[in-house]
Amino acid sequence: MIKTIDLKKTFIGRGQTVHAVDGVSTHIKPGEVVVVIGPSGSGKSTYLRCLNGLEELTSGHIYIDGVDLAHRKTDLNKIRREVGMVFQQFNLFPHKTVIENLVLAQKVVRKRSTADAEKKARALLSKVGIAEKEQEYPIRLSGGQQQRVAIARALAMDPKVMLFDEPTSALDPEMVGEVLEVMKQLAREGMTMVVVTHEMGFAREVADRVLFMDHGKLVEEGTPEHFFTAPREERARLFLKQVL
Amino acid sequence: MNSFRKDWCWHLLTALVLVGMGYGLWVATGKVDYTWRWNRVPQYFVYHNEDAKRVPYDGRVVEIETAGDTTTVTVRDRFDEEETYRIDSDTLRVSENEDLFAGDHIGSVFNWQVGPLLHGLWVTLWISFVASIIGLVIGLMTGLCRIGRNVTLRQLSTLYVELIRGTPLLVQIFIVYFFFGTVLNIDRIAAGICALAIFAGAYVAEIIRAGIQSIPRGQMEAAKSLGMTTTQAMVHIILPQAFKRTLPPLAGQFISLIKDSSLVSVIAITDLTKSGREVITSTFATFEIWFVVALLYFLLTASLSQVIAWVERRLAISD
Ligand SMILES: Nc1ncnc2c1ncn2[C@@H]1O[C@H](COP(=O)(O)OP(=O)(O)OP(=O)(O)O)[C@@H](O)[C@H]1O
Ligand SMILES: [Mg+2]
Repeated sequence: MIKTIDLKKTFIGRGQTVHAVDGVSTHIKPGEVVVVIGPSGSGKSTYLRCLNGLEELTSGHIYIDGVDLAHRKTDLNKIRREVGMVFQQFNLFPHKTVIENLVLAQKVVRKRSTADAEKKARALLSKVGIAEKEQEYPIRLSGGQQQRVAIARALAMDPKVMLFDEPTSALDPEMVGEVLEVMKQLAREGMTMVVVTHEMGFAREVADRVLFMDHGKLVEEGTPEHFFTAPREERARLFLKQVL
Repeated sequence: MNSFRKDWCWHLLTALVLVGMGYGLWVATGKVDYTWRWNRVPQYFVYHNEDAKRVPYDGRVVEIETAGDTTTVTVRDRFDEEETYRIDSDTLRVSENEDLFAGDHIGSVFNWQVGPLLHGLWVTLWISFVASIIGLVIGLMTGLCRIGRNVTLRQLSTLYVELIRGTPLLVQIFIVYFFFGTVLNIDRIAAGICALAIFAGAYVAEIIRAGIQSIPRGQMEAAKSLGMTTTQAMVHIILPQAFKRTLPPLAGQFISLIKDSSLVSVIAITDLTKSGREVITSTFATFEIWFVVALLYFLLTASLSQVIAWVERRLAISD
């Protein structure tokens, strides 16, 4: 599904070079739920953003369904509609109502009719449990509700993969559960997911595989049982000690 | 209402200050021995025009037919040709079979005519309007070029903005009129509109650029993550939000443009200011006319402010 080979992303700014992602190679299979964890600044977000082309690669390759993102002729917009993304800050469109948030890209990108798009949008909104808010503007929703709308918005494009960048980090604690619940349901339905999160409970419960990153490098990967009980690497052990 | 009752003494003070200033002005004009002739002003808005009908040759009235307010007079001239004149009934000066000499006055037609001040107001209004629309288009394109990726477009747009903002509008009007007007052979109205539009465009570009840059980066990223192209994201996501934020400064710019348009009177466009000057040369009611001209500009800008405030309220529903 997604294959990254020696992925590197370097930021050059103000005279210093940051190797945000430094040679990550991994293979994410269809239906797999991969959780990426690691200390702050370790390059998790950057790695995720590379996966849908929001960051341009410095070197290496990303294959999504066999298509090389780094290839000059690849149409990124075409790839991106197959890869949904959920952001830490929700990034809903504030000038559009909830339902318009879900309908817009379906019409503009997928060229669906308004009726079809709205039908799909309503189905997804009731799936994430906020059908009654479809005419509200995002600003009037709670954080948890906004994030669920954002998930529904990404799902409306029928993506093959969903990327989550710390979807619950900007939420009040009492709202974290409702968003995780939606994500767990998605995982059960067999969606391929890459999730950056600090929610270790979620990782343990849902992940098929855990990737541990530090300083841009993929330090350790394995099943949650392996990772949370007997990590090989010293750095992973230190990190777990801090967060658990 | 409550606050009105609480602040009534301050409202009273405001009124007193205004009355005091008015009184001061009145005393001051008394000192310079100026006779106010406000009654002369209205005729420069609209006036009742008399169009006197006269016979061109000697002749004789053969028929007078009155139907309500208009009367039709038929005259047979000395070449035996018949001519009919339509006049207002109460101005009829001839009777049937009367002999007429060339130049005799048969009667008149009265109609309301637009005076120079109203005409000038209209010219100012439409020149500003057209210049605003063109300026908006120029500004939008320049603003997009300024934040775009293409280096040449970026440099050219920056150069344009800096040049326009760094030179006086009056000089720009002269350059457009005398240089481009001559080289490209465009008339004064077109030159005036061009100069204003180019001037406004530079400021609009800066407003638009700032507006677009004030939209959080996450919006563009979210749009792209849904597979939208940059253009689609701009059209559906960024620009609508930027428009809302830029509306107040844009409104300010267009209000400025209405006022700045008074400068085109220097290339002999009869806008409100030029009309005012012309009226003064024939009435010598200098003070009155300039006050009236100022009031007319104020009415234009104030109504634009009202319209913008209404649009802003409409757009505020999503915050
Ligand atoms: N646009 C950018 N320009 C310059 N440096 C950047 C940029 N984005 C990220 N970085 C740097 O790259 C490194 C990795 O950042 P990244 O956001 O991927 O970390 P992260 O693992 O997501 O951290 P966090 O858990 O805090 O979100 C950091 O050192 C950061 O300062
Ligand atoms: Mg991050």
